Amino acid sequence: MAEREPVIGIDLGTTNSVVAFMQDGTPTVIRNRASSNLTPSVVALSKTGKLLVGQIAKRQAVINPSDTVYASKRLIGRKFSSPQVQDAIKVLPYGVHAGDHDDIRIQLGDKKYAVPEVAAMVLKELKADAEAFFGQSVRKAVITVPAYFNDGQRQATKDAGRIAGLDVLRIINEPTAAALAYGFGKSVNGKIAVFDLGGGTFDVSVLDVSSGVFDVIATGGDTYLGGEDFDNRVIEWLVFDFAKENGIDLRKDRMALQRLKESAEKAKIELSGSKEAQINLPFIATPAGGGAALHLQRTLSRDKLEELCGDLVAKTISICEQVLVDARVKPSDLKEMILVGGMTRMPKVVEAVKHFFRRDPCKGVHPDEVVALGAAVQADALTSSDSDVVLLDVTPQSLGVAVAGGYVRRLIPKNTTVPTSVTEVFNTSKDDQTTVKIMVLQGEAEVAHQNELLGEFILTGLRKARRGEVEIDVTFEINSEGIVSVSAKDRETGLQQSIQVTASGGLTEDELKRILDEQADLLLEARSGEELQGKKSELKALMKEVEALIPQLDKATQGSEFGKDAITKAKSALDAARKAFDAPVLSKVTDSIDTLTRTVSLFKGVLERIK
Amino acid sequence: MSAETIDIPAERQQEILALEAKLKANHFEVLGVTPGASSDQVRDAFHALSRKFHPDRYHGRQLGSFKAKLDTIFKRLVEANNVLTDPDKRQKYLDDNPFVRAAIRSATGTNAALQPEPAAPKSAEEEARDAERRLRLARHPYLAKVTKIQEHLVKAKAHIAKNEFSHAFSLLNIATQIDPQNVEVKTLLADVRKKNEVQRSEGDFKRALDLLNQGNEELALQALRASVNASASNHEAAFKLATLLEKTGGDIKEISSFAQKAVEAAPQKVEYRVLLGRMLEAAGMKSLAKKHFDEALRLGPDHPDVKKHVKKRWPF
Repeated sequence: MAEREPVIGIDLGTTNSVVAFMQDGTPTVIRNRASSNLTPSVVALSKTGKLLVGQIAKRQAVINPSDTVYASKRLIGRKFSSPQVQDAIKVLPYGVHAGDHDDIRIQLGDKKYAVPEVAAMVLKELKADAEAFFGQSVRKAVITVPAYFNDGQRQATKDAGRIAGLDVLRIINEPTAAALAYGFGKSVNGKIAVFDLGGGTFDVSVLDVSSGVFDVIATGGDTYLGGEDFDNRVIEWLVFDFAKENGIDLRKDRMALQRLKESAEKAKIELSGSKEAQINLPFIATPAGGGAALHLQRTLSRDKLEELCGDLVAKTISICEQVLVDARVKPSDLKEMILVGGMTRMPKVVEAVKHFFRRDPCKGVHPDEVVALGAAVQADALTSSDSDVVLLDVTPQSLGVAVAGGYVRRLIPKNTTVPTSVTEVFNTSKDDQTTVKIMVLQGEAEVAHQNELLGEFILTGLRKARRGEVEIDVTFEINSEGIVSVSAKDRETGLQQSIQVTASGGLTEDELKRILDEQADLLLEARSGEELQGKKSELKALMKEVEALIPQLDKATQGSEFGKDAITKAKSALDAARKAFDAPVLSKVTDSIDTLTRTVSLFKGVLERIK
Repeated sequence: MSAETIDIPAERQQEILALEAKLKANHFEVLGVTPGASSDQVRDAFHALSRKFHPDRYHGRQLGSFKAKLDTIFKRLVEANNVLTDPDKRQKYLDDNPFVRAAIRSATGTNAALQPEPAAPKSAEEEARDAERRLRLARHPYLAKVTKIQEHLVKAKAHIAKNEFSHAFSLLNIATQIDPQNVEVKTLLADVRKKNEVQRSEGDFKRALDLLNQGNEELALQALRASVNASASNHEAAFKLATLLEKTGGDIKEISSFAQKAVEAAPQKVEYRVLLGRMLEAAGMKSLAKKHFDEALRLGPDHPDVKKHVKKRWPF
């Protein structure tokens, strides 16, 4: 196979992110530099002003709650004034502010960042991990999003990729990716359902798979239903009882809130394996009037957790019902049922799913990694000519225009395979109307304003006539890249107006350009600087190892010809390494690392044999 | 084949062009399945075609004009698949396109006289081979055109022989769209169009009379209107409609317009003239009314209607 530029698949999760690639025809997870498959989607600014991403950021969350950003995926592409964001702010320990266009800005230190910028920090980390793995730069990626993300949220995710220096080949749906990973390389034929309950979002999709073609028939979900909500139920329960006993609302204290969050999540995870979990938070608060510090000590049983979260589980099942109706299938028509996302480890969830689908879920997939693996499959399918995989994805929500009376006329219904285009004829709604406004909406609500406004434009210069006499062709199109464009044409005069929907997550095109420009230099610098730093510490460790090995070898070889020769060589290599270390040029450091690595393995081999 | 460089194998380019050429055909033909194929067969065909024609298969390659072609093709395939795999949409599509329904009837052998080939279930392999064959045939535009027209003509003539003019009409309509210059199709179409109209009009008229017998005047009115609209030459229907409207207190202008139609289609009928005269008179057009009364008197001085309505006011 010809040497190709590496392409990666990224699962940008609410709690954790994973990056994968196609290794000799098998999708494989790339471990991060901390040797873990999962990278926490956490970004923090340390007290010393250093930007931390991943495990290291998560670990310091408790001592630095106001400058540690987690679950930013729940905010991406949303409006600040939306009820979901307003709800979320109440339980988030970091600062969330309104931007100029009702978008969201996250406070980190004394700077405010747009959500895509924060997501880009996580993506950059994953990109760097992949680059460390491949030993070369990585540009192309497929990123997954919850199936139920709307156009704005998708665009914002794409922006994040661009800010991170990635060429985002495609944004694909998480459950679809899971199905790709499940069905890839198997001769699966038939309908399968994917139940994806992750950290922040819930999705369910039904696909028809036939020898390499993955045809999404229906998809549905809730972008505000996931593990975080289960955690919040536990937090509420803890806070409520604590307030009753001590009259203190722990949520007002950011550090306490962060500790509560961690222990709630830990207890929830523990309860997937055991019947009871202890929650122990010493010195959680001090009484207002002074006095001894208060401790929080509770036992959470599995039954109690299930009681607290019963409605959340029920909600997932009712969404499943709707999706099966949309797909026109019965549970018995399904060949397989796949569980994805960390939350599907909860016994109550498994039980509810089993009961509804009347079958045992498939056990062959890893719920945390399967989405990234599927993204890697699609990345490979898009870039290699010998792949047999074709993904027929759908638009998850309906698209339409606002019509007189404040209602919506849907042109592209949800679950339509893309690319697609639809034209419909509209009429003027008033006498002598010379201008029409086309408002492009996404969503399922009958009333126009309850849907998401993707964009709007005006068609002017219409002929004066009685209402209903002027005919206008409105065309909606979603191309193979998932870009929505809308055009309106006066049938009589041929006058035409159109827009491409590029509304992004609060970032205007100018802003995005500015961020990219600002980072263009920074990005390169950061990358080589980071890399050099890493190599230097690697070299340092090797130097120490060689220094320690020299006397050992000297002793073992008892001044033989071979020993003398080898030791002289090693010493000169050490000298070279010291010089390389002091004059930091990447290529010299790398050369020294190579020499010393060979020396170490040679010495160790000799010592092994002599013993 | 042209100046632009296109990163698609030549053979595949040919397939793309061939499919692009037949996108105007009906949903079944576009997907290369037998008319009336089941939802599962449609989906399988759609999947097989997706493997070749989904734009993602050519992602990142230099496509030139083929990019737009692939997009158009795939959108058309999606449309066909969406309609044929959704029972409601499929039903509506067949209702709106009787010629497709006719094609199904002949393909599935419900009308054995037209299509001797029995609709034995085909294996997937045969199906694929057939699709391949059809595609190859479609590559030769002239051949495809001639065969298609001949097919439609034969079927249309069979329908005419059985007085099934509406089926024949839709078949000929397609044929003339394929080749507007074909004289045989053109003359036959004109003839069938008229016969079809008369047949429909007579059918509606008969239905209206039945409804009147049952005392359902409202539906009878509807049927009569349909009958008059279908064929202007059905004077009986026009007259019946006018009298019924008068009886039920309809708009005078409307009544006179139908009476006018009846008179135009059958100028010799005395009762039509009398009715038209009365309506014109009521609408205040005295001189026009007089003209028709005069004519009625001339045509049938002893006609009961003339005695009843005309003679008593004579002379003006």
